[in-house]
Amino acid sequence: MNMKKTSSDSRFIQYLDERIRLRSLLGFLLEEPMPGGARWAYVFGSMVLFTLVLQFVTGVMLAFYYGGTPDHAWDSVNYIDHLRYGNLDVGRLIRGFHYWGASIMVVLVGVHLLQVFLWGAYKRPREIMWLVGVILLALTMTAAFTGYLLPWDERAYWGTIVGTNMIGLVPVVGPLLKSAIRGGTGLGALTLSHFFAIHTMMLPSLFILFVVFHLVIFRRVGPAGPFRGTSATLEARKEYFYPRQVLMDALAMLTVFVLIAGLSVVFPPGLEATANPANSSYSPTPAWYFDWIFELLKMIRPEILGVIGLPAIIALVLVMLPFVDKNIERSPFRRPVSVLSTLLVLGSILGLSIAAEAGFKKLVPLDLASVKRGKIVFEHSGCMGCHMVMGKGGHIGPDLSEEGLIGHSEHWLEVQFINSSSHFPGSPMPPFTFLSPEQRRDLAQYVSSLGRTGWPDTTR
Amino acid sequence: MRQEVVFRMGIPVQNASGQAIGTLEKLVFLETEKKITEIVVRDFSSLKRVPLVWIRELTEHVLVLDHPGTLEDLPVFDISQFEEVPTWFYPPGYRIELGSLLTLKPCDERFLGESEAMSRRDFMAKSTGLVATLIGISLVVPIGGYVLAAAKTKLSDHWITLSIRLDQLPVDEPVSHTFNAVSVSGWMRVPVVRTVWLIRHSGTTDPLSVSEDQILGLDSPLEKSRSSPLLTVLSPICPHLGCSPQWFSGKKLFICPCHHSIYEMNGKRIGGPAPRPMDQLPVQIEKDGAISILYEEFQVGIPQKIRLS
Repeated sequence: MNMKKTSSDSRFIQYLDERIRLRSLLGFLLEEPMPGGARWAYVFGSMVLFTLVLQFVTGVMLAFYYGGTPDHAWDSVNYIDHLRYGNLDVGRLIRGFHYWGASIMVVLVGVHLLQVFLWGAYKRPREIMWLVGVILLALTMTAAFTGYLLPWDERAYWGTIVGTNMIGLVPVVGPLLKSAIRGGTGLGALTLSHFFAIHTMMLPSLFILFVVFHLVIFRRVGPAGPFRGTSATLEARKEYFYPRQVLMDALAMLTVFVLIAGLSVVFPPGLEATANPANSSYSPTPAWYFDWIFELLKMIRPEILGVIGLPAIIALVLVMLPFVDKNIERSPFRRPVSVLSTLLVLGSILGLSIAAEAGFKKLVPLDLASVKRGKIVFEHSGCMGCHMVMGKGGHIGPDLSEEGLIGHSEHWLEVQFINSSSHFPGSPMPPFTFLSPEQRRDLAQYVSSLGRTGWPDTTR
Repeated sequence: MRQEVVFRMGIPVQNASGQAIGTLEKLVFLETEKKITEIVVRDFSSLKRVPLVWIRELTEHVLVLDHPGTLEDLPVFDISQFEEVPTWFYPPGYRIELGSLLTLKPCDERFLGESEAMSRRDFMAKSTGLVATLIGISLVVPIGGYVLAAAKTKLSDHWITLSIRLDQLPVDEPVSHTFNAVSVSGWMRVPVVRTVWLIRHSGTTDPLSVSEDQILGLDSPLEKSRSSPLLTVLSPICPHLGCSPQWFSGKKLFICPCHHSIYEMNGKRIGGPAPRPMDQLPVQIEKDGAISILYEEFQVGIPQKIRLS
């Protein structure tokens, strides 16, 4: 590209150009030739990079207030959730960015991988770039797994119990590996600091290293370009990375950002009751992107085959793909076997995920106004004479502090209020028939919220 | 390793029968394949594009083609369709002497004409800048608020009722009273032990029953409204540099062990480097003699009494 504006460039640009050869550096960064021209199909890599940077920024922000020990982790996350600046829920927003950023990044990594696969862009000479991409996929999933524990709530604790138990099933080295990751036989303070160190120190360094590696290789071998067309026609429609592709990438990043911000505002991440190793009734569920593994593990016997075999097969296929598939044909329309089998795998993952989600116990959706009214009903109807909530109340009935996590339906709860012995024959709980239907509904909402929301604001 | 191919511009080009038909002018590079595909030869009428595969022999002094006749039928080289290749794209294995490598220009400029292409480029550059600014601002605003949120958190005033009653205190003799309090730092609440000086006065006529802070008007409205002629509460922290002044009952003086600031019983500074009197704290006395105080800390080293948030 001819940087024509030499005379009109500001003195600052000229100063930098003389000292760090700015123009030639920019030229190098922006003048990547793109055979066949700029395309929307190429934006996915930039979108992944953007979410990664967003995770870095918001992650550092979360670390500003996070306390990485079991006796403080939950308190610190609850503190972040209540941080406000003026009328802005900044804490919940930053945590939302990180939470939804992780989910969106997993999706985008998947889409990026699929696009590269369909375009046949992993073929010679781009095998090493593909391999580095597979490593980045593994880093992404490890980051998702380790970040899940850090809020130290019930979901985090029990999800990680199951996750690390799976690692323990690996033959020979499994038990040692599991204890090494947990920092002992049980899940505790050392597990949390191990996961925190992996999540915030090890993985970011590795991410930077392999992303740089990925990009350097990309610039060395160049983009693969469209799968159709001869090199002469691609050359004729050639464009440089700047400006059209840069603009497309920027717009794609803006879309991702708006999506993540919107999700953070509309669906802020929740925080369940603090991890309670004594809670035997909790049924852990994985993050949605591990749902399909969760569902598959229910089907595969012996379990070990699913735990070891499945990831091993996936890793093997991904790693070996460019070395086994030496066919130079790149068009997905002329590679029916590999494309159809990929679609089959994707379809099964989708089906398994849906099946898993359908199998999870649904918690009652909360209406916060009703919860508020229900709390008043709870406090004025004598419930606390027998039931304990957050350390206050009687000991005759069961402690209800985490009742909302059990997953009783609103109907079940309303029946419980007026006719306890229909659920528990011989129950000493008196029938609360004096409650109006509205009060019963509000009370059911409040009881469903216990252990899920309504945490004290510790910022003031 | 393969021999490096050297192209020297300006050398004569000969056809298969040894006739000189022109001179070597330029090289054309196919970026998508990262290799040189054509050479540009100046014959007697114009510049012609000759495929690279036509070269039979290439030395530093002459270039010989496989082609027998002249170059008349070959396409004419149009410089406006091409641009120079930056040096970092030079293909390995070639050396280009006394000349440069050319490549086809990217398409939009070729199809739309130079001036329109520039305005389009400008538009795209500005749009990109706008998008980046949008994302930047919508990130920096919540992050700034997030970082400042904890700094701006107001300390809630926390009155503490002491375990001692007014009538249990000696008159005109400062007592160092210790009590348990909670120090709040973000999400952490740490139990701490704090100390204040309690000075019970004999009566309102005693000149030392009014604290120096009150006399000098250093108190905040809160401290002014919550004071008692019967009891002065002084902070244990020296307003000089934060040491702890001690009471010497023989001399009837507070003396700070660090830098020897000397104060009278009502906090009045009578010697040493301290910039202001000892700080009076708000106090409230109930009818039954119960004492409630509000523990405050102030900036040290300055003449003003400024509360730390």
